[in-house]
Amino acid sequence: METSIPKTSTILKTLLRADLTTQWRNRRAVILTLIVPVIILVSWKGLIPKLGGPFVLSNSITIGLIATGLMGYSNSIARDRDKGIFQRLRVGPLPAWTIMGSRIAVQLGMIFLIATFVFLAGYEFDGVSLTPGGYVLSYLTSLAGGLVYLSVGQAIVGGIRSPETVNATSRLIYFVFIMSGMFGELLLKEAGKVLHDIIVWSPYGTVKTIVAAGMEPAKWNNEASMALLVTFGYTIVFAFMGIKWFKWTSK
Amino acid sequence: MKEDNILTVNDLSVSYGKFNAVQNVSFSVRRGEIFGLLGPNGAGKTSTLSAVEGLLKPQGGTIMVDGNDAVAKPLHARACLGVQLQSTSFQTELYVIEVLQLYAGIYGVPMSKDDLLGILREINLEDQAKKKFGELSGGQQQRVSLVIATIHNPKLVLLDEPTTGLDPQSRRQLWERIEAIRDKGHAVLITTHSMEEAESVCDRIAIIDHGRVIAIDTPQAMIDKHRNDPEVIAVSRRGKITLEDVFIALTGKAIRG
Repeated sequence: METSIPKTSTILKTLLRADLTTQWRNRRAVILTLIVPVIILVSWKGLIPKLGGPFVLSNSITIGLIATGLMGYSNSIARDRDKGIFQRLRVGPLPAWTIMGSRIAVQLGMIFLIATFVFLAGYEFDGVSLTPGGYVLSYLTSLAGGLVYLSVGQAIVGGIRSPETVNATSRLIYFVFIMSGMFGELLLKEAGKVLHDIIVWSPYGTVKTIVAAGMEPAKWNNEASMALLVTFGYTIVFAFMGIKWFKWTSK
Repeated sequence: MKEDNILTVNDLSVSYGKFNAVQNVSFSVRRGEIFGLLGPNGAGKTSTLSAVEGLLKPQGGTIMVDGNDAVAKPLHARACLGVQLQSTSFQTELYVIEVLQLYAGIYGVPMSKDDLLGILREINLEDQAKKKFGELSGGQQQRVSLVIATIHNPKLVLLDEPTTGLDPQSRRQLWERIEAIRDKGHAVLITTHSMEEAESVCDRIAIIDHGRVIAIDTPQAMIDKHRNDPEVIAVSRRGKITLEDVFIALTGKAIRG
């Protein structure tokens, strides 16, 4: 008699339920992830008349995306790999991609949550609201942007095995992204075109550009389209590196 | 007609870079038997088991699990296996009952909450259902791991050093559970450092050293065969020849990494 294997859809549903439960039990960490965007929304309220609501909202969302993709995802993968959780799953009759697919699906849900939270907080604290089309496009660009940081997180756990080093590296990159992205564009405009361009076309800059452009669909321009392409490019490159280098054990 | 062997490993080779961890290893596990894989540290036991489990890709040889080629049809082969790894860890945030639910789902076994609680009741852990795996004692963790390894009624159960770190009571209880698995018609492949364990529960054993199988037989037949070897007599400590004496004589007295 032919050996039967479970349906992939059944396996994915089971993994998703477990990963969502895990995420829910880590809700304190999730809340902390959401606090930073709110701090930016509140502290940058004074910049809205000068730079516009979409500028502040897009920065807040981008920082939330970086925190969840870069730190949340990479650290949880590094920790579970070190504990042998993946090895235990892999000896079951399930394709390896379902293990990561479920994790990424949960992170995409987190991205949706962050965008929603920032939209609500932006309306509540800063009185910023978008058109229905703006909300829809912003969710899509947030997902596209979130994928960049998930892929960067994947590249980190692909290149580094120790969970402690993954933690330190992701924090360092988080700090660099935030400092260069948030303050670079504001403060270094006078420091020269090359430096300014580097910041604008960095993974922080392109994501911020597409998220901001998504909030005002009528103003979507060539620069936003180019930023979207570059964002996809970053995702492909980092995901390729992260998948190619990834090892299921930390030993 | 069903083949008598549930697992057939033939000429298996596993390498880590230039280091050959397993070299041309061949053995088979019959239906309804407990087969022990014995060897010093670094002998190749876990590498052999990892290749059977599909965690390592062998450089050569074949592994057939109930007629499924473990390399060509890994999912089919793994569906026949129940596995308890050497250092088992489950999602730290999940409760014990949720871990059971997860693995039942992965193996495609639909189970209600009552079914899951019934399983925990059988291993006297019903009241621990809402505890996290890490909050259980070592013996309780082993019981949960074993019940997860057999949740889908597998034809072959692989246990990698399952009694390491257990007290005598927990070890004896685990042996009884392993024998109960065998008595239900399943085959068990177990790796162990404990000669007492091998003598007590294994129907047949293979001694593996430096990546090669150096002996396969029943524990008693192995003792009888080597009883009069000068090396065995030389290492014997209490006059009576034990499996450990035979093992030391065959693999040497030097301590391995």
